[in-house]
Amino acid sequence: MTMVAEPKRTSTEVQQFATFYVGQLLLGVDINIVQEINRQLQVTPVPGAPAHVRGVINLRGEVATVIDLRTVLGMAPAEETRDTRNLIIHSQAETIGLYVDRISDILTISDDDISPAPSNVNGVDGRFILGVHTMDSDIVVLLDVEKVLAQQN
Amino acid sequence: MIDQELLGDFVVEANEHLANIENQFLAIEEMAPEVDVDLVNQVFRAIHSIKGAAGFMGLVKVNELGHNLENVLNMLRNRELTPDSAIVDVMLRAADRLKSMIGEIESSNDVDVSSHVAELTAIAEGHAGDATEGAPAPIELPEMPATAKAALAPAAELDDAAFCAAPVIEEATSVATAPSLTPAPVAKPEVPITSTAAKTSPAEVAAPAAANTDQSIRVSVGVLDSLMNLAGELVLSRNQLLQAISRDERSGLEAISARVDQVTSELQEAIMQTRMQQIGSVFGRFPRVVRDLSTKLAKNIDLVIEGKEVEVDKTIVEAIGDPLTHLVRNSVDHGVELPAERVAKGKPAKGTITLRAFYQAGKVRIDITDDGGGIDPQRLKDKAVSQGILSPERAAQMSDRDAVRLIFAPGLSTAKEVTDISGRGVGMDVVRTNITKLGGTVDVDSTIGVGTSIIVTLPLTLAIIPSLIVQVGVERFAIPQVSIVELVRIREGERTSRLGRVKDAEVLRLRGQLLPLIRLQESLRCQAADKVEPGATNIIVVDSGQTRFGIVVDALHDSEEIVVKPLGRHFKDCSCLAGATILGDGHIALILDIAGIAVKQELRGDHKEEENEDVNTGGVAEEELQTVLLFENAPHDHFALPMDVIARIERVRTDQLDSVGGREVLQYRNSTLTLLRLNNFITAKPTLELDWVYVVVFNVRGREVGLIAPTLQDIREVAMEVDTATFKQPGVIGSLVIDEHTTRLIDLFELAEVAHPEWYADDQPIAVEEDYLPPLILLAEDSGFFRNQVQKLFEMQGYRVEPCEDGLIAWEKLVSGEYDFDVLVTDIEMPNMNGFELCTRLKANTRWKDLPVIALTSLAAAADMQRGIDAGIDDYQIKMDKDKLLNSLRNFVDHKKKKAPPKRSRALTSGGVQ
Repeated sequence: MTMVAEPKRTSTEVQQFATFYVGQLLLGVDINIVQEINRQLQVTPVPGAPAHVRGVINLRGEVATVIDLRTVLGMAPAEETRDTRNLIIHSQAETIGLYVDRISDILTISDDDISPAPSNVNGVDGRFILGVHTMDSDIVVLLDVEKVLAQQN
Repeated sequence: MIDQELLGDFVVEANEHLANIENQFLAIEEMAPEVDVDLVNQVFRAIHSIKGAAGFMGLVKVNELGHNLENVLNMLRNRELTPDSAIVDVMLRAADRLKSMIGEIESSNDVDVSSHVAELTAIAEGHAGDATEGAPAPIELPEMPATAKAALAPAAELDDAAFCAAPVIEEATSVATAPSLTPAPVAKPEVPITSTAAKTSPAEVAAPAAANTDQSIRVSVGVLDSLMNLAGELVLSRNQLLQAISRDERSGLEAISARVDQVTSELQEAIMQTRMQQIGSVFGRFPRVVRDLSTKLAKNIDLVIEGKEVEVDKTIVEAIGDPLTHLVRNSVDHGVELPAERVAKGKPAKGTITLRAFYQAGKVRIDITDDGGGIDPQRLKDKAVSQGILSPERAAQMSDRDAVRLIFAPGLSTAKEVTDISGRGVGMDVVRTNITKLGGTVDVDSTIGVGTSIIVTLPLTLAIIPSLIVQVGVERFAIPQVSIVELVRIREGERTSRLGRVKDAEVLRLRGQLLPLIRLQESLRCQAADKVEPGATNIIVVDSGQTRFGIVVDALHDSEEIVVKPLGRHFKDCSCLAGATILGDGHIALILDIAGIAVKQELRGDHKEEENEDVNTGGVAEEELQTVLLFENAPHDHFALPMDVIARIERVRTDQLDSVGGREVLQYRNSTLTLLRLNNFITAKPTLELDWVYVVVFNVRGREVGLIAPTLQDIREVAMEVDTATFKQPGVIGSLVIDEHTTRLIDLFELAEVAHPEWYADDQPIAVEEDYLPPLILLAEDSGFFRNQVQKLFEMQGYRVEPCEDGLIAWEKLVSGEYDFDVLVTDIEMPNMNGFELCTRLKANTRWKDLPVIALTSLAAAADMQRGIDAGIDDYQIKMDKDKLLNSLRNFVDHKKKKAPPKRSRALTSGGVQ
């Protein structure tokens, strides 16, 4: 029963995205794959893990991998703040945490309002982008979570 | 779309039906031309149900294939068709296809089954024709590649008939022509060996299907009931606990916590029980593997399977399949010789491969034994030297046994030529790595001309493992107990004498050996703890199966049973880790993979041995060595205990020691441990008042007893040059000089007898009926000290003993015919004829092959046990463990009595022993 990250593209369908900030960047992921958002930030580092993996957490008895989105997106590491959260998602039958700086709103976006990704948005590699949604004040970069998680370094 | 749940049920059920079908087909083949109607009926019904359900669910291709298979089975059942290898071959392939279709049920309707259907209809319709088509085929041997055409044009019935006949021809062909036949199997699309060799074996075709769908498990109602009961008890205990807490009662808490503890353990055990599966489900695939492969190689091989009912955890059953397949294929390919070769050597043309599983010391052992040509140690050495794996000097010193173990060295291939089946140089080292990953070990023993045994040992379960929790920097890690050999604490003052450097590697000096050291904090790049307290260095000596080394950690925590949680896909390259676990406080501890660490740090087995040699040449004499624990009962009063008889050592606070009725006891693990204090029983200075003491626990008369050893000093291997006169008294064997101190060697069993004569009150010398002499023991032992000890022990029990100081002398005594021995008790290491040789000679002679043999050993030689069992040794006993040795002796003499009652002509046979 794996959730598919890729939203279906039919003309009038609307989708919901959970949005959050990493640095100054507003990002969104398909809300269907989001399990929960928590403040469980006590991450146990794993020796020999790839650089973008912060470590593992105890998520009610399960050991979940935590990914540092900053490293994946090529940003400098940041201190943990009051707003730092762990966004827990499902991917390929695994529970994975995304370490984000601040949680924002849930957006309901019609497919028509999603424009295809340019090769690079605010320094984010186009490979990771599903699409871009423009709002009055800001743009939301919609992430292709599977691509983000498949990142090698 | 079909209901997913229904489809799931169908897959599970179909797999159950198909699980044993291969072996059933093979059984049918074996019995041919006879037909066991019951067996065929069984298969028929299985296929029939699959066919029926598939039709109902619209799985047209499964239905079609099932239907055709059923037709053939029906004809067999009605004796309209006589089974033979060709027919069984077709059915086997059809069943393989059926399995793979069910494995990927969603796409089963897209699978082309026409070739199978054609083959099956050819059998069903033209079975008369089949025989005539098949008959001339053997004559047309060179045209065999034509079957390639058959594969390309599967619908052509005629070609197909010839195609199915192919294996029969192979079987019939002589050895010389066999290699030329290999093109034929290549042409078959789903029969094993294509260019990618091992990857596409039928076993592995079947494996994914099992892995994909085996998501449910069958549990016996009994186990389920006990689970239910335990859950009930747990609820009850919880209620008690909640009540006690709400009433703020402290008094009952201990009882409740003990109850919860017990129920949890039982629950854990019961749940583990549900995960246990018979290893037979893995073994089931091997008759087919051996059949197909031996046919292809024109060999004649019998596969004997024993111990199918041995149960291991499901995870292990799943993971062990591939390594075992590799080992079995190896035995077929490299082990068993071609029939002509075998006959020339005077062996039966038919080779035998035995696959045997059994429990041994809390683990599962699987032996894969063939009666083939064996492995030539010299050839392996030469090969290893030529490939630069081994230096010529090391090769010259290496024992044959170790040389044979070179097959596990990475990059070494044993086959003279690379064949399709194995011998590509990626083999045994991968098998070894995979088995080590499962927490198991693999070893090899081989005798040229006689055969080869591969010995695999596996833990019973992987899910919950006893582990030691250690601190490295700010993090905690778990090290599985199974890989831990011992813990060593180096005090600051000893650091320079115990830790050293060899080239650029840090080493630990441990009882005359140098062990490589790994500082975990550096090798794992862990964040250092804020305050590092200087002081003692904690070292965990671990054994990866290939090498032994020390791990330096910052602190030791508890020993816990941990539940293994898998790590996510991002950590697949972390070879140093075996998983993670959640500790009592909610923190995560990563589980270290000892074998992975050894590989990463490039520690090799031979590294260790090199250093051993250095030490050996450094003057340790070739004498009987015994590992002893050295301690002081009071300052400057030195004592030694043989390590072999010690169960374990505990450190306890002196205020935990109670005195009950004038006896010292320790309340310990919910039971009372009787304590002995040396100076109460032998002349020794009284012990000092200390806060902590060590208690050496040993087993005597079936109970645990502790000896208070106030200050431990060392564990050493010392030569048994014992003065048995000067200090002899009950409880003391004699004295040795160690480090210029006169050290008294304690006999724990005698000491226990002095302290508690009532335990021995029921003991009587073995009862001997009148007119019969007591049993006569042939004792071969080169060390005078041990010979006297053992002789005295036996004689005190009433046995007669004929001591010899070498195996050869024992053999001569035996051959002289002067004596009629009832049992042989022998040492292993002896100068002129060792225990193995003596035993092998004995067992090879019909006159003495039933004479029981008990081997005396020290723990250090435990690795040789397998060799002993092969030589025919009936039992192994530790030299210093009197109780067990006597028990064993009783068993064998008693046993013998049953087999050969004393009425017979043998006047010396034992009388009644109770």
